Amino acid sequence: MALRSAVLRYIRVPVQTLTATESKPQPQWSLRASLRLFSSHDVHLTKEEVIDRVLDVVKSFPKVDPSQVTPNVHFQKDLGLDSLDNVEIVMALEEEFKLEIPDKEADKIDACNLAIEYIYNHPMAG
Amino acid sequence: MSGASTAAYLARRAAQKERVRILYRRALKDTLNWAVHRHLFYQDASDLREKFEAHKHVEDLDTIDKMIAEGEATYNKWRHPDPYIVPWAPGGSKFTRNPVPPSGIEIVYDYGRENND
Repeated sequence: MALRSAVLRYIRVPVQTLTATESKPQPQWSLRASLRLFSSHDVHLTKEEVIDRVLDVVKSFPKVDPSQVTPNVHFQKDLGLDSLDNVEIVMALEEEFKLEIPDKEADKIDACNLAIEYIYNHPMAG
Repeated sequence: MSGASTAAYLARRAAQKERVRILYRRALKDTLNWAVHRHLFYQDASDLREKFEAHKHVEDLDTIDKMIAEGEATYNKWRHPDPYIVPWAPGGSKFTRNPVPPSGIEIVYDYGRENND
């Protein structure tokens, strides 16, 4: 199942919004909602959604200053967090995206861009 | 043991730090399994954090090893019998529910046509 969704993701054709031919502009999400996909595993998150949700989770962490959070920020170096805080952030990201990250992989997630890459490339990210 | 920063000392400290992080992660998930209501979980999570923070400044390698072993023993004693696992992960309820059918199997659409038609 992971192989199949990885193959599908590789050959996926990007959806083009018809803003050039239509009079009223359509946002990206409404076109995706009207395009009904019959498999439960083909609807993957877009990168902007992933970035927005990851930054929201990091910003709502009580020990973090929300104005300093950017998509490239390192948890321990830039935000001044502890390694245990790192563990807590990774757990919060797991709960947000309904993922199950193995312990060894979760230990390596140190910065925002790593988290975004991992979640974006995960086939089961909700 | 040597107090100087030799490579072996640093390597052992790094391995211990990784063990501590993994132990904290599992203990936090276990706390969430036991305390399902969120306000109880926050209380228990901050208690757990206090316990980890209390021994933050220990420097001796053997003491650290002993404390990690005690922590892992406590974790094993308190493990939840029915932990929450995400459905598609191993141990969850949806795991291998719809496996990929083996290749080479096809459906022949002959619509009941018989050979003497």
